[in-house]
Amino acid sequence: MEKELKVGIGDMKLSRGEGRIITYALGSCIGITFYDPAIRLGALLHIMLPARFNDKDPNVFKYADTGIQETLRKLSAFGMMKSRTVIKIAGGAKMFEISGNSDFGNIGQRNAASVKKILQQAGFRIMAEDTGGSHARTMYIDLANGDVVVRSFGRPERHL
Amino acid sequence: MKLRAYEDLNLQELDVMREIGSIGTSHAATSLSKMLQKEIRISIPQVSILGYDQAVDQIGDVESLASATLVKMSGDVEGLMLFLFNLDFANTVLERVIGEAYNGFEEMDQLAYSALTEIGNIIICSYINAFSQLVNVDIDLSVPSATVNMLGAILTVPIAEYGYDTDKLMYCNADFVMEGKQLSAWLLMLPDIPSLNNILEKLGVS
Repeated sequence: MEKELKVGIGDMKLSRGEGRIITYALGSCIGITFYDPAIRLGALLHIMLPARFNDKDPNVFKYADTGIQETLRKLSAFGMMKSRTVIKIAGGAKMFEISGNSDFGNIGQRNAASVKKILQQAGFRIMAEDTGGSHARTMYIDLANGDVVVRSFGRPERHL
Repeated sequence: MKLRAYEDLNLQELDVMREIGSIGTSHAATSLSKMLQKEIRISIPQVSILGYDQAVDQIGDVESLASATLVKMSGDVEGLMLFLFNLDFANTVLERVIGEAYNGFEEMDQLAYSALTEIGNIIICSYINAFSQLVNVDIDLSVPSATVNMLGAILTVPIAEYGYDTDKLMYCNADFVMEGKQLSAWLLMLPDIPSLNNILEKLGVS
């Protein structure tokens, strides 16, 4: 059995070489994969909210801003080079549509916008994305080759 | 003392929430029973306050499909109400209402979906009616919204909605028993923290 690391909600795992890192059932949350092919170093971050407002909250991976920052810091410490890094994102669905209340449940959209803005500001480009819609997604990255797969029910698997 | 999070509830307050859940659930079961013209019994409801991962573990597999109806509460109590059920429950109900059963949620058509949305709506409304009479509050409910999706993703909706205040979910779980068959459904009544304080104050327990 291949090594598989599971990433929970508001969580991040990184590893090198082989196996996969997986996160299940992304709804309005966003999964972000980072991969440096030269050293086969990869990470998967699962964020839930666009930004951290309470500086005292120790759970940095819950938020897009602090989560991405901390993930990049850790990856650099493991030797990731910015110019080689491939980033892909998935998630940000709108799970419920409440008529007459369009504000509700657009957290997915806000998450996606926040993630894109933060990555852009940090000088990274998103190579592929599968965001929006109303379906949940499970996402994993294969550390051997950086292949990112997204699966949902009733749809074919998608390689990003 | 004002609560700052769900997990601050003490045993007495939890008991009160369980009692409310019990009354709400019985009303919901009565409506369901009237609609299906079947006798329905319920088990004693449990109130749980759990983190996301534990909640998912209790309810089922994170990637398994579940159906949910969601209604937003406003007025004296602000928050969300979520009624969550699996295929077994859906089929038993659909067999009675539209005379059809399905092998999976994927196979259901528009008619089945709207029947399920309506069932969820009726259950939620009767729960809230009982609740608002008991606590003596006015609660407005939004139009219901339904989804069939991965269980784990459905549960992230309330978690994300209240993500800035709490990491926990408070839910009331009861088994409906119909013709000797046990059907699991979960009612998540999620008042925001100020509303929870308000409820407890009205009931004289805080």
